[in-house]
Amino acid sequence: MGSAVLDRYVGVWFLTPALVLLLFILVGPFAFMVWTGFTDLSFALPNRDGNFVGFDNFRRLMRDPLFWDSFLLTVRFMVVAVAIELVLGFAIALLLFHQLERRRLVLTLLMVPMMLAPVAIGLIWKLLLQGDFGMMTYYLRKVGLLGDQQVLLSNPDLVMPAIVAIDVWQWTPFVVLVMLAGLMSLPREPFEAAVMDGARPAQILRDVTLPLLRPIIALVVLLRGIDAFKEFDKVFILTGGGPGTATELLSIYTYRMNFKDWDLGYGAACAFMVYFVVLILCAIFYKAVFWQEGRSRAKGRAGA
Amino acid sequence: MKEGWRIAAFAVVIAVLVMALAPYIWIVLTSFKTRLDALADTPVWLFTPTLDHYPEVFIGKGYLPLVWNSAIVAVSTTLLSLAVGAPAAYVFARHRFAGQEDLFFFFLTTRMAPPIAIVVPMFLLFTEIGITDHLIAVIIAHTSFTLSLVVWMMRGFFADIPREVDEAAQMDGLSRAGTFLRVLVPMAAPGLAASAILCFILSWNEFLYAFILVAFEGRTLTVGIPGLITPHGTLWGQVAAVAVVATLPIIAFTVLVQRHLVRGLTFGAVKG
Repeated sequence: MGSAVLDRYVGVWFLTPALVLLLFILVGPFAFMVWTGFTDLSFALPNRDGNFVGFDNFRRLMRDPLFWDSFLLTVRFMVVAVAIELVLGFAIALLLFHQLERRRLVLTLLMVPMMLAPVAIGLIWKLLLQGDFGMMTYYLRKVGLLGDQQVLLSNPDLVMPAIVAIDVWQWTPFVVLVMLAGLMSLPREPFEAAVMDGARPAQILRDVTLPLLRPIIALVVLLRGIDAFKEFDKVFILTGGGPGTATELLSIYTYRMNFKDWDLGYGAACAFMVYFVVLILCAIFYKAVFWQEGRSRAKGRAGA
Repeated sequence: MKEGWRIAAFAVVIAVLVMALAPYIWIVLTSFKTRLDALADTPVWLFTPTLDHYPEVFIGKGYLPLVWNSAIVAVSTTLLSLAVGAPAAYVFARHRFAGQEDLFFFFLTTRMAPPIAIVVPMFLLFTEIGITDHLIAVIIAHTSFTLSLVVWMMRGFFADIPREVDEAAQMDGLSRAGTFLRVLVPMAAPGLAASAILCFILSWNEFLYAFILVAFEGRTLTVGIPGLITPHGTLWGQVAAVAVVATLPIIAFTVLVQRHLVRGLTFGAVKG
């Protein structure tokens, strides 16, 4: 009898371990981070052992030009990288959709960059972009895209475009994969109707394919956007934020505040800002996904 | 005309593949090059291979235990995430309760949480408890993002199983927990395998948590990588050897999990 009662509440005790674990590993640290943001905790400066200072850290944050430079750099990185990945990925997905024998093989090979450890990607490109013997440096100079004395990773004007290019190299395959899955899931009737009406391929792309793909495009943009905003590993290995602060993205800046300057109170305020932006993007993502699910459910009912 | 387009499209596909793969192939080649070939002014594509770098870095520099650490962390993270996450996914797939959507959104945010924001307080808390520098610290940290991956992915797989299956099992006298363990889990085995492989990949590839939380004994392979890069005279052959060992198992796994990759990476929003 006891076990029957237990079984009725199976939902509760199936869910509890996951919640307890997340409480311990995420909610706890998150709360601690918020609290630290209101203190002057520092491991480097004297007499700063976690006294409550109210909104001091956040006020300092608002006036800190380095923070805002880093914030804008991160937003620019996110927008430019995701935009290029989206256009390039969509084009390749379209190509693969209308091609191809051996599509599976092509996809498998194409997936390699996105599955590698980001640290390893940083390493690979650091090797390729070395000034005196880097393979990529050699060929870029050969075709005239790079001056003889220029080294991509130590040139303040070229380093950020280089990092965007590496991100594009890594993540375009992801966009291809999702877009292709999206293209294959589209209904056929609208396309057949458009062909019957004598629409040209460009018209079909603009008036049929793109509108139908809108939910998928929104999904890719948000997922990639959130990831790009958090970017750390590759840049940490490639440049460590340098030269100067040319590639100091928000997460690298936060890292420096916490683990170089050991200014933990201020570092927590920075971390909070990163978290805050990601949370907003997350909420938009969630709404977009559920809007899509709700729509398809409604469609299914209408069909039945 | 049509034939011409086909050839052009094929050429573009080949060009894309070359762009995607050449950097990786280059690092594999570099791991077999002598120092002279690796540092040549003009890129060397054909050379007499050497196997020296692998024993030099894995035995000589003691990187072998790092591979072992990475494997322990990735396997433990995967098992913990599946054991805790699969039952939770079942609840989300089969039960309806107040606040369900909010709770589900909470699971999403845990997967998306920026590591740089979480790792600092986690480091302070773990120092307090005294588990930094143990593998357990990294396993716990990695579970923070793999757990929600399992929940999101497995919810989809459980939801794909018709409810009639549950009802039939319960008619046969199985309890709900029994139905889950003896009927649903075996039926969702392909999904579990796919989730497991993705968990393994995410944990194996992770850098920041492992980098901050352990310094000496418990270092994983990704954490060992920056230590090999020195301002001058980096031994690129050894660096490449570590990169190859750190990436080859992942590429093998990717081939296995390919069919479910899209679903796993888009939180089940696209079935692929």
